[in-house]
Amino acid sequence: MITKTFSASYKNLALISKFIVDIAVDAGFTSSDVYAIQTAIDEACSNIIDHAYGKEDIGDIEITVQESDDNLEIILVDQGEPFEPDEIPEPDITSPLELRKERGLGIFFMRKLMDKVSFEFSETKGNILTLVKHKES
Amino acid sequence: MMEILITEQSHCNLVSISGRIDSYSAPQIQRVLNSIIENEQHNIIIDLQDVNFLSSSGILTFVKAQRELKQQNKGKLVFVNVSDLVLSNFRIAGFDTIFDFYGDLTSAKERF
Repeated sequence: MITKTFSASYKNLALISKFIVDIAVDAGFTSSDVYAIQTAIDEACSNIIDHAYGKEDIGDIEITVQESDDNLEIILVDQGEPFEPDEIPEPDITSPLELRKERGLGIFFMRKLMDKVSFEFSETKGNILTLVKHKES
Repeated sequence: MMEILITEQSHCNLVSISGRIDSYSAPQIQRVLNSIIENEQHNIIIDLQDVNFLSSSGILTFVKAQRELKQQNKGKLVFVNVSDLVLSNFRIAGFDTIFDFYGDLTSAKERF
């Protein structure tokens, strides 16, 4: 298990990506799965900055990665505003250009790309987002 | 680190991007695209050959430019040299249907 804490800024997204990609490659994921994990984590961190903290450099994102024989589990913790995923409508990905909505895309990407996405809020820890990607059997 | 190179072609502007397109770098691309459109250049080819990552915020930057061009009823933004991995993120959210993708620059330029 590895835990690393990053300041919640857009500039750190590249560092966070490198941290996650290195672990996913070492864990033996295919290049498309590594890219999927990289995208999901980037969307998660961008959402934390944009919506939990509301802007950059307000707090931290603590990322814990745990590898097992079957999967990679990534837990992101922040101390921003409680996140309510059920309040975010799913985007209509078939609507024409003029009607495309921007809100909700991050969660949509996470749910499409990962095998498990769960949100919880702890009074002591803050927002806890758990993302799991299964290894191919 | 992302870099942007703009080259004026005979009937279009070629915007070659390298590196990573995420929430940090997307605003820079937005400014470049806004500037091109404000200068009455409406045919835009985006070359993503050297882009190794594209997030939803990056895709939305291109969506906004395409929407602006459509509202003005002038020109179009198209892509060239998009890797399968980068294209997969366009496909996931259905954005592949609102852009044209070309395999090489010659084919993209013929569009204009």
